[in-house]
Amino acid sequence: MTRDVQIPDPLDLDRDEEARLRRVAGLAPTKAPAGEYAGFESVGLPDRPPQTEREREVYTLEEGEMLVNMGPQHPSTHGVMRLVAKVRGEVVTDIDPVLGYLHRGIEKLCEEATYTTVLTYVDPMDYLATMHNEHAPAIAFEKLFGIRAPRRAEYIRALVVELNRVFSHSLMMGFLALDMGGITPILYGFINRDEIVEMLSAISGQRMLFNFFRVGGVNWDTNDEFLSRLGTWRSHVLKNVEMSERVITDNEIFRARTIGMGTLSGQEAIALGVSGPNLRASGVSFDVRTARPYSIYPELEFEVITHPGGDSNARYLQRIAEIKQSIHLIDQIVDKMPHGPVQAQVPGIIRPKPGRAYAAIESPRGLYSVYAISDGGPTPYRFRMRDPSFVSLQAIPKLMPGHLIADTMAVMASFDPVMGGVDK
Amino acid sequence: MGDLRRPRRAADRLGRGRALTAPAKAGALVRLLLDRFPDLAAGLWTDEDTVEVTIEGDRNVMLLKALRDDSGLNFFYLADAAAVDYGPTEHFEVVYHLYSDRHPAWLRVRAKVNRADPHIPTITGLWEGAMFHEREMYDMMGIVFDGNRDLRRIFMSPDYRSFPQRKDFLLPDDAADSSAAGVRPLERPETWDLTRLTDELGPGVIAHAEGES
Repeated sequence: MTRDVQIPDPLDLDRDEEARLRRVAGLAPTKAPAGEYAGFESVGLPDRPPQTEREREVYTLEEGEMLVNMGPQHPSTHGVMRLVAKVRGEVVTDIDPVLGYLHRGIEKLCEEATYTTVLTYVDPMDYLATMHNEHAPAIAFEKLFGIRAPRRAEYIRALVVELNRVFSHSLMMGFLALDMGGITPILYGFINRDEIVEMLSAISGQRMLFNFFRVGGVNWDTNDEFLSRLGTWRSHVLKNVEMSERVITDNEIFRARTIGMGTLSGQEAIALGVSGPNLRASGVSFDVRTARPYSIYPELEFEVITHPGGDSNARYLQRIAEIKQSIHLIDQIVDKMPHGPVQAQVPGIIRPKPGRAYAAIESPRGLYSVYAISDGGPTPYRFRMRDPSFVSLQAIPKLMPGHLIADTMAVMASFDPVMGGVDK
Repeated sequence: MGDLRRPRRAADRLGRGRALTAPAKAGALVRLLLDRFPDLAAGLWTDEDTVEVTIEGDRNVMLLKALRDDSGLNFFYLADAAAVDYGPTEHFEVVYHLYSDRHPAWLRVRAKVNRADPHIPTITGLWEGAMFHEREMYDMMGIVFDGNRDLRRIFMSPDYRSFPQRKDFLLPDDAADSSAAGVRPLERPETWDLTRLTDELGPGVIAHAEGES
């Protein structure tokens, strides 16, 4: 027996009813009549006039619309970010991301630090891709200083960044499911991650912020524990990945909530500056590892994987394909690894000649680049980092209008942003 | 391939004498650029994988549009946009890094911006994704992008009144010794209208303005 439940159409609600609902929801009453600027009081902030055209647009409510504040401590914002969502009923009509809750001024700090110290400051940027964070500055400083890392160091670098990519993507699979209410996959994700983290802590001595790269090489050579863990991990990693895949990929709810959600065309993605797996999942074949080869990637055999879908599901499948690709790359790297030193001779305080250097790498979230300027002193004159999640985040306000609030988080998780990188 | 397996000892030493000559892979791009834009020759510079051109700030939209739409150049992807402060007596620079699949080198466009009156046209009309970059540059350096319809602070709070990545912004340690202390506790202004503040005090490191209480 079913009971008819009357769900009122928000458009039919009169202002009194809306005011009552706002009271129930704990929101401040809207003073402004429809079509006029509602102000910041409506999301519980001190009121102030809008600073830009866009801000006025977001904070102007039509009949039946209201503003919902998500975050900054909302668990599914992947860090500390605030989303101001304008909704009509449960349908999102506009989104304004508010950033900066994790801003630490890393660029400014790096301009006060010696070149060696910079590599420790960049670690907590994108805290799920720490090895990648160090890779780009290391390359940029080597260009500035005119040195090359020894070949064995380059191989070890490639090995650890590919391992880092695998665990970052494993976690993304878990978080994506978690944001849709699936608790199990994140446990598999963390099992996959912990094995690699233990391995990397054996080689670097640290568990999360590895601080492994040096200008002109890496801190340590491989050791027995690292290699032994690598072998054990390699023997069952594909099985583990397939197990996580079985839990998620064909799940009916997962498919219903990802297929056709947040579809981004290749053209839009390029215009928005989306990069990495998110861009390749929209069918654009752009991977810095092959487009602008760095380190030892020209010596490895691999093809850029793309996926034509462009939706959340395509972004998820792209990650799985890239995990397998990275494992394939790791096999080749271990096969070909040469003997030799792992650190070039570099003075304690590096003073490059005045100049500029740009280094871009492919991080798990996309194009991560560093632009460093030297004025001949011991610290970089300007140190600029382009973080892929920061730029990709702009896709969220583009994609979400017309979707449900609950899907906002699911689509956002499919872009895999990390707020440590977004806010610098 | 034999060369790849042999350890290159020379490369392990400090390569201080290594000349940064333009490699062959940038050569085609340089020729094409000079063919299309002969006036760029003055500011042209190359390193091992980058070609760099320098322009005046107000030419940025025209040049970037031409670079993007020209089928021979095809710089369709904006890899980075960042601002550089060359000090209180010099100028700002907005630096664009572009990617093209036709050429194996990055293209760096350095656009000069007057420091006393830091205005430059927005490129959000060419790449929507430049929005966050421009908001960051405004927030950190105080560069105003004309035509950008969402130019507000992105990392600092909306009532923050300095531009922290400028070179004359003093960090707390240095500020303690300075009479014009660069960092002071945040004060909430009477009004939140930042356009008014900028009009009255002018762009710049506002905490340095004399006579401000």
